[in-house]
Amino acid sequence: MYQYSTEDSKFLVERVDQFEKQLKRHLDGDLDAAKFRSLRLRNGLYMELHAHMLRVAIPYGTLNTTQLRALADVADKYDRGFGHFTTRQNIQYNWIELSEIANLLRELSSVGLHAIQTSGKATRNITADPLSGLTEGEIADARPYCELIRRWFNLHPEFSWLPGKFKIAINGAKFDETALRIHDLGLRLVRNKEGELGFTVYVGGGLGAAAMVAAETASFVPVEDILSYLESAMRIYNLKGRRDHLKKLRIKFLVRELGAEEYSRLVDEDWQQTRDDPDLKLNLTHLSELEKDFALPIKPLALDGFEDKVDFNYSIWKKNNVRAHKVSGHSIVNVSLTKLGEAPGDATSEQMRILADLADQYSYSELRTTKRQTIVFPHVRKDQVFDLWQSLEKYGLASPHQGTLAQIVACPGGDYCDLAKAVSIPIATRVQQRFDDMDKLLDIGNLNINISGCENSCAHHHVADIGLLGMQKNGEEYYQITVAGETLHKTVIGKKLGPSVSGDNVVDAVEDIVNVYLDNREEEEKFTEVFKRIGIKPFKEKVYE
Amino acid sequence: MSESIELTNVVNNKNENVELVSVEQWIENVDELSKLGVGVFVKPSDDVKLLQDTLNDIALIALDFNNFDDGRGYSQAYLLSKRWQYAGEIIGINAHLDQLQFMLRSGVTSYKLLESYEGVDVLDYSNGFSICYQAAANNSGLKEKF
Repeated sequence: MYQYSTEDSKFLVERVDQFEKQLKRHLDGDLDAAKFRSLRLRNGLYMELHAHMLRVAIPYGTLNTTQLRALADVADKYDRGFGHFTTRQNIQYNWIELSEIANLLRELSSVGLHAIQTSGKATRNITADPLSGLTEGEIADARPYCELIRRWFNLHPEFSWLPGKFKIAINGAKFDETALRIHDLGLRLVRNKEGELGFTVYVGGGLGAAAMVAAETASFVPVEDILSYLESAMRIYNLKGRRDHLKKLRIKFLVRELGAEEYSRLVDEDWQQTRDDPDLKLNLTHLSELEKDFALPIKPLALDGFEDKVDFNYSIWKKNNVRAHKVSGHSIVNVSLTKLGEAPGDATSEQMRILADLADQYSYSELRTTKRQTIVFPHVRKDQVFDLWQSLEKYGLASPHQGTLAQIVACPGGDYCDLAKAVSIPIATRVQQRFDDMDKLLDIGNLNINISGCENSCAHHHVADIGLLGMQKNGEEYYQITVAGETLHKTVIGKKLGPSVSGDNVVDAVEDIVNVYLDNREEEEKFTEVFKRIGIKPFKEKVYE
Repeated sequence: MSESIELTNVVNNKNENVELVSVEQWIENVDELSKLGVGVFVKPSDDVKLLQDTLNDIALIALDFNNFDDGRGYSQAYLLSKRWQYAGEIIGINAHLDQLQFMLRSGVTSYKLLESYEGVDVLDYSNGFSICYQAAANNSGLKEKF
């Protein structure tokens, strides 16, 4: 598995030393709050009224067990024994003392973890398919590219003070588990007619109040030219992006105002000046070294005569949480830490250590974090899945609800977040209570419900089968419903069903929508497929009848 | 948002006083001004492409970094120095201590800190890193890893 070199680790420590000096100057009154804010966000630190939040990067969602144990230690030593896995594959701590932050970051740097550019107006953590390298039909493992691009934009002199935050995702798999086109910039690995590897580039996606699907700005950028292309894409944004209006800082507004065609033309014009610059060519030697570092630790396994155990609960869990691995004899196992009624993504230090121990035992000491805030064991021998399940079960980590409608993605919402207009987790709990029949859950299958407490859209409600957005109406909590959003095969922003629905009625509305789906479903049709066939009308009629 | 602080003159790296004109003034009176050895003051909102054809006649270019969060100056520095190979002095004015590393690597060749940083040990502050991960106009003193 890939690990930082000595000089990379030294760089992380140098960054901590620098930040420690900045913090000291701020506390001494020599660095004002506005400038310090801009600097501390680039080190992942949010200062709230009573506590400080630190966001630590998990690049492309890949962790080794040493790193996960270090994250558990940080939770115990510097927080209250918790961490929160985010939808962008990071982890957040909510109760950090300023005086301890440098020591915390030094501890993390010793295992190759950091908080650099996890916030602020710069390139954020680059996300990848959590199943990178594991699935059949993949063009290439995205992680070596993520790592090279992450490095390149790490304290980039020209692009560290952009108009707004800049989120990049890279997908090399057949299906899009990364939601590429809701990112500021999405890269899809493709092969051209000659069989050469390159990227299709999408720019200007984003959720929030003005949800937009990113436009394709280049159909094929050869692998070795991607850095110069990205620089040009960012240079046009840096020079022309809106800086005058707080709500229009993201690149999606620039792309919308210029038009995707004009933006693409400007990028291309700039790129023609630099694409032949040898300094900007992606280093293919580094790429092949990284490909070796990220190579899978397993070989095909012939399990002649192996028959999996028969157990009712195991079978239910397995159906929703175990996927085929491209290397024969192995499986991919998904673990949700969330119990019904809890904030998705929260993990105790004890759970982290249990997962680390189990990953040492069953998954070659490797774990992945996902945008559904779950943890993946990437390489489990097929004949050990049952044993792993038993262990997970023992620790309460194998709820059969995982992978069903009951596994709802919800932001912290009005119970925990100052920005929220309405609660999220209590609505999730009520939906879960309404659908508490296991047979029905299994019948419904994989249907995504995402609940955001405000327009910041942290729960990505726009791209769920059923999305709920909290809002205020005459001092009461209401929910706007969107349906049939998706990202897996193509990116579609969900359609608004109609007027928002009160908190009292929203669970009825969700049930109505699910029932219309079930009544109209033919064979194995997914929610979005039924929606495409029958349109919005039957859903509308049922909910607003 | 803190705005650009316009200067009418600046001391160059030879300790000489150089008069500054705006981009508009330069474009309108380029024949006359190029004989006078004036510098051009560039605001973040200025389009530096307008200077491309007459770059060699400009005695010095002053880029304004007063607004801490406005990063356009870094792209302006890159275009002037790396892409168009401007040979004169590019001075970053109204500069902030914490951004010197970014300015100098982007192509700024000298700087004038804001008054509020007087008395701070700049050397102690700006030499913190041993390596860098990307090509830039100026990577001197850094081991390049890319």
